[in-house]
Amino acid sequence: MSSLTKIPAGVQYFFDDEVKLRRYVERRAMETFAGWSYDEIILPMFDYHDLFARGMGEEKAERTYRFVDRDGALLALRPELTTLVARTVATRFIKRERPIRLCYSGEVFRYDEPTERAAREFHQLGVEHIGEPNIVADIEVLLVAAEALTALGLNDFRIALSHVDFFNGVADFLKFDGAARAQFRELINRRNSLALEEFLGTRAAHIEQSRRAGFSRLIQIAGKQDAIARAREILLNERSRAAVDHLDKIYSTLISLGLEENFDVDLGDAGGLEYYTGLTFKVYVPDLGVEIGSGGRYDNLIANFGKAEPAVGFSFALDGLVGAISLGASQRQWHSANDAQTISFDGDLTWAFNQAREKRKQGKQVKISAK
Amino acid sequence: MPNNKLTIALSKGRMQDDALALFARAGVIVPESELNSRKLIVNSADGRYSFVLVKPGDVPTYVEYGVADVGVCGRDVLMESRADVHEPLDLKFGRCRIAVAGKREVVGEDYNLLATVRVATKYPRIATDYFHARGVPIEVITLSGSVELAPLLGLSDRIVDLVETGRTLEENGLEVIDVITESTARLIVNRASFHLKRAEVGALIEDLTQALKE
Repeated sequence: MSSLTKIPAGVQYFFDDEVKLRRYVERRAMETFAGWSYDEIILPMFDYHDLFARGMGEEKAERTYRFVDRDGALLALRPELTTLVARTVATRFIKRERPIRLCYSGEVFRYDEPTERAAREFHQLGVEHIGEPNIVADIEVLLVAAEALTALGLNDFRIALSHVDFFNGVADFLKFDGAARAQFRELINRRNSLALEEFLGTRAAHIEQSRRAGFSRLIQIAGKQDAIARAREILLNERSRAAVDHLDKIYSTLISLGLEENFDVDLGDAGGLEYYTGLTFKVYVPDLGVEIGSGGRYDNLIANFGKAEPAVGFSFALDGLVGAISLGASQRQWHSANDAQTISFDGDLTWAFNQAREKRKQGKQVKISAK
Repeated sequence: MPNNKLTIALSKGRMQDDALALFARAGVIVPESELNSRKLIVNSADGRYSFVLVKPGDVPTYVEYGVADVGVCGRDVLMESRADVHEPLDLKFGRCRIAVAGKREVVGEDYNLLATVRVATKYPRIATDYFHARGVPIEVITLSGSVELAPLLGLSDRIVDLVETGRTLEENGLEVIDVITESTARLIVNRASFHLKRAEVGALIEDLTQALKE
């Protein structure tokens, strides 16, 4: 009887106010996406495992819940939604005019190490902007994310911007191969300055000391516009410089839009390199120790399913948004007043249900009470 | 309003005094009276920091979840927890080694001759990673203390444990076979706090870096 005495790790049940809050958050976010002309797409719960492996890479596809179709083909519960969007765009939307703007809301299923905190089933809300290679799409999705957060009352949010080519350019310059690149990235990602210096001391011994010291300061390149200036102080190759220029342009626009407070530059963030090709960003809110959303440009993904197309997008974790709103407990606008009208049933069935139907016609909430 | 006070998780016990001494050198003073109280959350004299004193193994958890912005814990604990946090500073104290040890008479023995090596440890992950990287299947026996006892009683073939001076090993007829890694105390920082409280976190790192140089 283990199904009655145990619960599989990561499954969740929601009820009462939690459900109301989740639906409220979903609605507000989707309204914002729609307001920027993102059309909702409803995607299948599962597809071929191979599809996800093509989209997200073998390693990530390893974490899917897999099962076998009647013909023996390997299926997987969807571990993310972007791959499904990309495939749809590359196949069924081939003739549509670009850019294509799509948004989605749905659960994804991922097996994580038991110690990792993510639930195995979680709900993502996101947008994908496809077919526009320019900075205008990058800025647009950032503004969509910002508006959704503001619409939810999360005014103290912080979006940290990075660009994969900043790191890639530096790693190219240092002539790091796959393994060294991975180690370099891990040290940067953990902001482990001492270990980074040591690593550069052995692996980049051919570079003169003063330049090396510059590279070990990589991890501190976080801040407002000053961070961009500091990034330029490190001698850069073409690839890194183009990345910094691109971020500079985005950031200047955000400043002129009056959004400086909510946006940071963080070139020490070197995550998602297998997947992203340009801008990347992560969303944080006060007092919640984890990112509640992330996104970036992924110009290589769609080529896996057809013609190469530029794309940029992001997703929020519904749990993260809900957690952030719950922390600021004063936000109660999602809480619908419980004003159900009780109709007592006193023997006359017809009378009681007529009353109820009448009130329902007026749009009122009713509750039948059998005494 | 965002709260700009920093919460710092410290390991109780072995490293607590060293950590507080370093913070004091960096100008973060916790009054004796606070420390001697039985409070679980104590404040620095200037009110800018609050400290939570927790079990060493729990520090990465507090920081990863963001209930503490910053923490001090040994690299051993951090490796074992695999917490996803920033690790900006080596605080240099609490130096020790994580080592494989065994009874003196087996030290030279090749564990490749054993079908499965039984390893007693407080660090099941570090132990598994070490042996698996060498192609050796192991049976991990997780203990929470007195790990040295395991080979003496025949519970395990080897142990993976923290070695400071090596005296405990020696007195029990054990010897270090291989050092897996050195460990010292580390400053760890929550990923979100790094952005949302960057000025405060940056100032603390700066002050600690100065204190370490003195």
